[in-house]
Amino acid sequence: MQSVAEFDNVGLRYGTGAETLTDVSFKLYPGSFYFLTGASGAGKTSLLKLLYLAHRPSRGAIRMFGEDLVAMPRKRLPGFRRRIGVVFQDFRLVPHLSAFDNIALPLRIAGISERDLEGPVNEMLDWIGLTERASARPATLSGGEQQRVAIARAVIGRPEMLVADEPTGNVDPDMALRLLKLFAALNRLGTTVVVATHDIHLLQEIEGAQMMRLDKGRLSDPTGALRHPPRPLVLRN
Amino acid sequence: MQLPFTANPHERQLIPDGRFTGPMPWVMAIMLFLSLLAAAAALALAHSANQGSMALSRQATVQILENDPDARIAQQRAVAASLRKRQDVHSVNIVPESEARALLEPWLGEVAEESEVPVPALIDVEFKRVPDADQLAAIRRALASTAPSIRIDGNAQWLKPWFELVRSLLLVALAILLLLLFATGATVALAVRGALNTHKATIEIIHMMGGTDVQVARLFQRRVALDALFGSALGLALAISVILLLGERVTALEPGLLSGASVPLYGWPLLLLIPLAVTALSMAMARWTVLSTLKKML
Repeated sequence: MQSVAEFDNVGLRYGTGAETLTDVSFKLYPGSFYFLTGASGAGKTSLLKLLYLAHRPSRGAIRMFGEDLVAMPRKRLPGFRRRIGVVFQDFRLVPHLSAFDNIALPLRIAGISERDLEGPVNEMLDWIGLTERASARPATLSGGEQQRVAIARAVIGRPEMLVADEPTGNVDPDMALRLLKLFAALNRLGTTVVVATHDIHLLQEIEGAQMMRLDKGRLSDPTGALRHPPRPLVLRN
Repeated sequence: MQLPFTANPHERQLIPDGRFTGPMPWVMAIMLFLSLLAAAAALALAHSANQGSMALSRQATVQILENDPDARIAQQRAVAASLRKRQDVHSVNIVPESEARALLEPWLGEVAEESEVPVPALIDVEFKRVPDADQLAAIRRALASTAPSIRIDGNAQWLKPWFELVRSLLLVALAILLLLLFATGATVALAVRGALNTHKATIEIIHMMGGTDVQVARLFQRRVALDALFGSALGLALAISVILLLGERVTALEPGLLSGASVPLYGWPLLLLIPLAVTALSMAMARWTVLSTLKKML
């Protein structure tokens, strides 16, 4: 089975500092669901940045969707980024755009016409419970609402891989479960999902999800799942 | 308004419209005003050199320095008659003695007709082409038997420094125009770099969503194009007012060296092309600045 992402002895260093990630090797398979855990400062966000192509590694090899990312010319990166949905830890909503326009952003960038994007964006707003706040700007939304908009923006384009950095950190347990259901639904449609979290309860919600643990920049797989083909997901509750 | 090579209405929301609030349009207006004045000066000088002054340089003045007034007048008539027969001469005009005396007034005061101060007999000659020094020397030799004291001064000789000055001024005007266009380009580059810095976070998001550098560049091209169009319109209106005003002043001058120094008809379309060229240059500069800056990002 061809992997969605393959890291081989990857190291990442910012400037001349110590390595943030050291000898990281793993494969992510299509349609699988991964939790990435680890203490604060363990390198979770750095690993996700490599996954959503915000950085190139300092050493090692990365293959994404079957292509060598390290040698890939810069002009080809946008095409790959459109295949990846990202939920940033700090949401990164565009402050002067409404909730509707923030969610529509990936579709507009991909050149989808206004007529074709209106339906999906409204459907997504309805799903995250923010239809009434479609024209509200991020500054007027609560932390949880901003996070839901950020998640809606990440999934609206039906990405092949979804990378989420602490996606449920600012929402109540009910909404966290709803969002997780959304991720699982996307996963069942074939999207590979990687969720960085240190919410232990979240890990227990999805049976069959695999776990990667980062400790001081080094990767371990306590469940051993990374070495085996993914299993079908079962969402509890 | 959808401008060519710029973002569509929804794309352009990505960067908030801040035009007319910053100094860019006003700087562009000043740059364009000065560029148009420099271009108008270059066109007027070129026109002056080609038209009015060229006519003057085809002329020559014949002086007959004979003390005996009767002989002087006889020689003047004979020389004029000989000149009229020449193929290379366009026209010959005998300058009346009163006019010749008037020419001396600034130096000698009023010279009475009976005065013993000998006033040279003058003949204005216009050649079909600008005569060179050898041609004038040959004519002088040919007429020396008729008027031994004859002297012929070609206007081209004393106009030479004027032409050199005009050529230098023309080059200076063109250099100023080029420098102003360069400064306009640099202003656009600085403004775009500032705007890129201001909107860095948004641009990073656009990149992470799969936006290309060209998509980002289109956003800035539109803003710069609108600023340049506004600045150009203002600069053009001011420059045309000043050029027309100066043109009126030049027209009011006595015929002479500067009388042709106004913008010729063919110059006006050229002047109107400058704002369009500045707008195109600004858009190209904005695109180049954005693309070269974003190249440094992943």
